[in-house]
Amino acid sequence: MLRTSSIKTLLENTLFIWMGLVLVLAIGSDLILLPNWIQVIGRSHPLLLHFPIVLLLLGLLFVWIPGLDQKPDVRSIFELTLLAGCNFAGLTVIAGLILVNEDYDKEVIFWHQWSGIGIFYLCITIYFFRHLSRSLLKPSSLILAVGIMLTGHWGASITHGEDFLLAPMQEKESKIPSLAEAEVFNDLVLPILESKCISCHKEGKVKGELRMDLIEGLKKGGKSGPFVLAGDFENSHMIQRIGLPMDEKKHMPPKNKAQLSEDELVILREWVANGASFNQKVKEIDPENKLFILASNKFEAKKTYNFEAADASDINSLNNFFRTVNAIYPGSSALEVSYFSIAAFDPNSLGELRKVKDQVVKLNLNKMPLAGVDLSVLKEMAHLEEIQANFTDLDSKQIQLLSSLENLKFLAISGNPIDKTGVQAISKMKTLINLYLWTPSLSDAQKKTIQSKLPNTTIDFGFDGSGAIFPLNSPEITFDKMMFRDSMEVVISHPIKTVDIRYTLDGSEPDSLTSLEYSEPIWFRKTGTIRAKVFAKDWIGSPEANFQFLKSGLTPTNYQLLSTPNKQYRGKGVETLFDQIKGQNNHTTGEWLGFQDEAMELEMKLDPNADYSELVIGMLYHEGAHIFPPASVEIKGLKNGSWKTITSNIPAQSKKVDLPRSRFLNYDLSVGGYESLRIKLNPVKSLPKWHPSAGSKGWVFVDEILLN
Amino acid sequence: MEKGEFEQGLNFNRRKFLSRLSLGVGSAALGSLLIPDLFSGKAGAEDAIMDALPHFAPKAKRVIYLFQNGAPSQLESFDYKPLLNENIGQELPNSIRGDQRLTGMTAGQTSFPLVGSYFKFNQYGQSRAWISEIFPHTAKIADDICIVKSMHTEAINHDPALTFFQTGAQVGNRPSMGSWLSYGLGSENSNLPAFCVLLSRGSGNGQGVYSKLWSNGFLDATHQGVQFSNSEDPVLYLKDPEKMSRDERRKMLDQIASMNDLNYKEFNDPEITAKIQQYEMAFRMQTAVPEMTDVSKEPDSIIKLYGPDCLVPGTYAANCLLARKLTESGVRFVQLYHQGWDQHGNLPNEMALQAKDVDQASAALITDLKQRGLLDETLVIWGGEFGRTNYCQGKVLADNYGRDHHPRAFSIWMAGGGVKSGMVYGETDEFGYNIAENPVHVHDFQATVMNLMGIDHERMTYKHLGRRYRLTDVSGKVVKDIIA
Repeated sequence: MLRTSSIKTLLENTLFIWMGLVLVLAIGSDLILLPNWIQVIGRSHPLLLHFPIVLLLLGLLFVWIPGLDQKPDVRSIFELTLLAGCNFAGLTVIAGLILVNEDYDKEVIFWHQWSGIGIFYLCITIYFFRHLSRSLLKPSSLILAVGIMLTGHWGASITHGEDFLLAPMQEKESKIPSLAEAEVFNDLVLPILESKCISCHKEGKVKGELRMDLIEGLKKGGKSGPFVLAGDFENSHMIQRIGLPMDEKKHMPPKNKAQLSEDELVILREWVANGASFNQKVKEIDPENKLFILASNKFEAKKTYNFEAADASDINSLNNFFRTVNAIYPGSSALEVSYFSIAAFDPNSLGELRKVKDQVVKLNLNKMPLAGVDLSVLKEMAHLEEIQANFTDLDSKQIQLLSSLENLKFLAISGNPIDKTGVQAISKMKTLINLYLWTPSLSDAQKKTIQSKLPNTTIDFGFDGSGAIFPLNSPEITFDKMMFRDSMEVVISHPIKTVDIRYTLDGSEPDSLTSLEYSEPIWFRKTGTIRAKVFAKDWIGSPEANFQFLKSGLTPTNYQLLSTPNKQYRGKGVETLFDQIKGQNNHTTGEWLGFQDEAMELEMKLDPNADYSELVIGMLYHEGAHIFPPASVEIKGLKNGSWKTITSNIPAQSKKVDLPRSRFLNYDLSVGGYESLRIKLNPVKSLPKWHPSAGSKGWVFVDEILLN
Repeated sequence: MEKGEFEQGLNFNRRKFLSRLSLGVGSAALGSLLIPDLFSGKAGAEDAIMDALPHFAPKAKRVIYLFQNGAPSQLESFDYKPLLNENIGQELPNSIRGDQRLTGMTAGQTSFPLVGSYFKFNQYGQSRAWISEIFPHTAKIADDICIVKSMHTEAINHDPALTFFQTGAQVGNRPSMGSWLSYGLGSENSNLPAFCVLLSRGSGNGQGVYSKLWSNGFLDATHQGVQFSNSEDPVLYLKDPEKMSRDERRKMLDQIASMNDLNYKEFNDPEITAKIQQYEMAFRMQTAVPEMTDVSKEPDSIIKLYGPDCLVPGTYAANCLLARKLTESGVRFVQLYHQGWDQHGNLPNEMALQAKDVDQASAALITDLKQRGLLDETLVIWGGEFGRTNYCQGKVLADNYGRDHHPRAFSIWMAGGGVKSGMVYGETDEFGYNIAENPVHVHDFQATVMNLMGIDHERMTYKHLGRRYRLTDVSGKVVKDIIA
């Protein structure tokens, strides 16, 4: 039967055992080799330490209860609590001393260890001298409490890191470097080690004897071997371990801690594959390499600007339809300004940008008329990096002003006249990374000068048109109608205004030297063909454009068809032949009269007072559709009451299937004096042998009859 | 209108709706008809997302998409396959073809004879890219472009493939890429639309383009692509009638706006504000567009660079020049369509002509942007909707053959705007049929374009009829390897 008193005695006695063990372990730890199963007891230190903290602090509270001596029951609880606390303290200290044998750095442990031992002895002292006066008890309880807290704090620092307690309050100033300056180890690899590894591999807590917080530590490696070996994945323990499956014991980071992300794994592996250098800069890596891609995403995409953002209302007030002012991406304090609409440009509006002069990083003034405009506000923009001012009529003074901007990295001033002073000014801009200077006003020598003076700048002089000879496109011939009554104006034009237009009216091919030069519209007063070409220096001459114009000056007083056209191709009857509308190369449009079974017979009464000299018949030839030139043409004229044959001939026949085309049959009437005319067109009765449908009936299609 | 008023208006709407609810559930359905935006999920949540765009610092500010409509053959342009030349007429092995479906046109063929390129290839630039002889100007800028040879898609015919490329799904009714960008980023220059479309026609076998490809889908109508016409007057009806002065026009617009405003106060229909904004933008466009489309002042070297066709409205070269001017003036997304690449037959002849149409001007665009310092912030894309087969459609003749549609592998190129220059990405197998390395799906391409513009393609969504839509639909991975 265990009575309280016997438990108490037991516990008091065990205290001595703990004290002895503590002494042995504390002083003689170097001389002792502890077997592994004892190390397990050491591992229970983080578990055990909670008990003495609670029990001792609780016990010490009792000291402060007034009138404790008068309450024996409460007093006995006090004593029991304190006793239990002391016992647990002892166990904790022993476990801690065993744990220390593992990989801890002795210096950091020092304070925690000795203050822990100190607490142990102090609490035993307080216990055994508990009957002493209150005046001693109270202060010693305070000292013990403080001691417990300090020990606890130091212990936490070991486990979690120095700044664990106050970490949330600290502001991490992580300056993201630019891609040009970034270093592989310091800016890509180290941040990973710091966030995922160093908490267990640093001064004070050196798991696996690997210190990652010092470069020497990384170079030295740990218990199992080297941390990394350049280019050697097999023997780089870090690489091995981060690649193990999660369930493997040796997998790093440990299962319960934050794991490495895909990108981080790539960074670490590529770093080793590329030689595990501590000095290499990112820009030295091959751009195809995944590491470079990751790095550029990280450093370029989020180029941060450190200046204060402008007032939102200022930015809003500067935005209108012709100027936009906005952040280069959401959340950035840097602003870009763009101008649009030449007609609405207000030179004073540049001055309005003073409100945001510290934030403007990019300025787009392309095509704005800047001649004579005061650009001095640009000098006040401390962070201006990019200016686009193509085709803005800049003068040399303005260019000099631009050249004085120190932060400028990107300048596009194509299309502006640049004179000698301009060249000098541009040559001084050593800080430029990109320069766009496409303009015809620069000579080759000047271009060379600029290039040599700015060795670090990528300069694009653009395409100046030299070395390329291309053919021009044909001119355009515009006219009212293809058939005209008295006269018609014909205009030849070409989109390039500076070319030389040459034409002929006599049917010959135009050339650049002897043909007529076009300067004003041409008047056609009779039927004729115009052929035109354009020529220009540095160009190959264009293909030809040609047109045939028909004068239909005279009309018969009366006309009638003696035969009927085919039902499907009646058009508007005989009117179709005199409507002065040229049919298109398609027989179905209704502008053509078609005859198959019957020949076309037309009788016209002529005006006795008019002087008829020629007859033109507009025909359509389309062998594929069985439309052929007439097999024969008969033209008879009525003179003095009798019909005389003027012409009876066979026009040129088709030899093969060709594209549909319109042609004219011309007949001379100059003999004159006819009162009426009869025209008969006989269609081909049977298609020739070469035709796919040889033997079938042919057609004749007419659209216009013209008399001049 | 003040935002506060607007919100109040919406609240008013909701109150009205709820009061109508008292008339019965049936009227609730009616309510959605009377107040169309009630169930559209506009405002509110979308605003929060809108405010945060772009999601991160963009590399490109603008896009020019030179779309080659009809599908140019990659085997005659950027994908050099000498094996095909060595084995002309041989059958396409089944192991290579696998289970690729065929179009109706070649499904009936009993044989699939391989045919190699009629044109010679050479290597250019630091990347040693293979480019065929019909693209000499593109070959000269090989150091500025990134050729992606491993594009692939699922669609096998033009309409679904075009729709897929532009809207992210083979079914229609979705907003196009330009509309998404207009919705997300707006136009830099508020005097011009954010999304412009220019069409041109080549001499080859053409397929149609239709306004579905630049439609705004379910997004606001202001995000629609604006098609410029091919005449001297690119934007029709923009000019005031002859006797009307600008002041009179202004007065007229003010009157109309006040009437529309009255309507808006009663119904709070966002379409009304959209309409007022469109009128205002048209008014500003009246000054902005003429000064921008004026090509008469272009220097000689520009005309030589693009070719003299650039002054003839309606040609591809003129559209390229106009695209550069639009980009310079801050238009967010300019899309060109050049039709005529569908060479099912007569490929050598037609393709040479098509290439001649586009080669010089496309290369000129890159050089022109570069010499103005604009290439770094402008993304230029050149490509079609799928590729062409390595076997011949129809009979193989020494100098004439055709190719059918091939979705499994094709090539495009990109330049500027944060894309690596002088690079070739992706590889196809020796037969030019399957992808061997680094496949890039249409959704991956779209995700990459979004990424270069500073947008996370998974985060920019729009809720419509209960589902959150995005350009890349449900897939798409940013191709980080081609991003500089």
